[in-house]
Amino acid sequence: MIVSRQSPEAYDARLRQSIYRHFIREGRAPAVAEMAAALSSPMRKVRAALERLAQTHAFVLQETGELWRAAPFSAVPTAFPVRSGKRAWHGNCIWDALGIPAMLHQNARIDASCGCCNYEMVLRVEQGRVLGPKGIIHIAVLARHWYDDIVFT
Amino acid sequence: MLLFRSELHVDRWCAQWNRPRGGTLTLSQGWRLAKEWYADRLSPAWRPKTVAEAEAAFARIGLVGEFWKLGS
Repeated sequence: MIVSRQSPEAYDARLRQSIYRHFIREGRAPAVAEMAAALSSPMRKVRAALERLAQTHAFVLQETGELWRAAPFSAVPTAFPVRSGKRAWHGNCIWDALGIPAMLHQNARIDASCGCCNYEMVLRVEQGRVLGPKGIIHIAVLARHWYDDIVFT
Repeated sequence: MLLFRSELHVDRWCAQWNRPRGGTLTLSQGWRLAKEWYADRLSPAWRPKTVAEAEAAFARIGLVGEFWKLGS
């Protein structure tokens, strides 16, 4: 029997990295079973680590225990699609949509639209600058309450 | 956190959903905020920002005032 001496913190960091690599490579979230396979771990160990990662607010889980978001990526389709080269993802909000090219340090196209009237507002991130129509980002919730209801926020 | 064409469209959205107006950022501020938040996210050493670090990041972008406070 192999006994792992890895600390929970080190394991969580490995899982976090593995999840992000999967998102970047595949354009979608890994299932818990895929995480377990990637880390050669039992699924219960992955689920426990995901619960700890969710305490950072960067990760949010569905009721099923599968990933809902690993910020800035969304595991479900949203109104904030982001494309960089041949790869595509969804951000959780406009902040996260901008966060994807910021995280990847790559150019990107964000097919956003006005939250009021759905008017198309295509943004481009090129060479570290955001280009496109003038727009305003509105955050409806006080910063200290963002995580009270992260979906609404 | 939504993107709008103009201040007028923010006001319309708030009226439609019966929400008080919240905080607003220019796109340039939004991009700077995204970089503050996510540029180091792939680092193995990444950890969540503390309240003080997050508020300092907001302040660097010009996001100050009661709306942007995270602590009590």
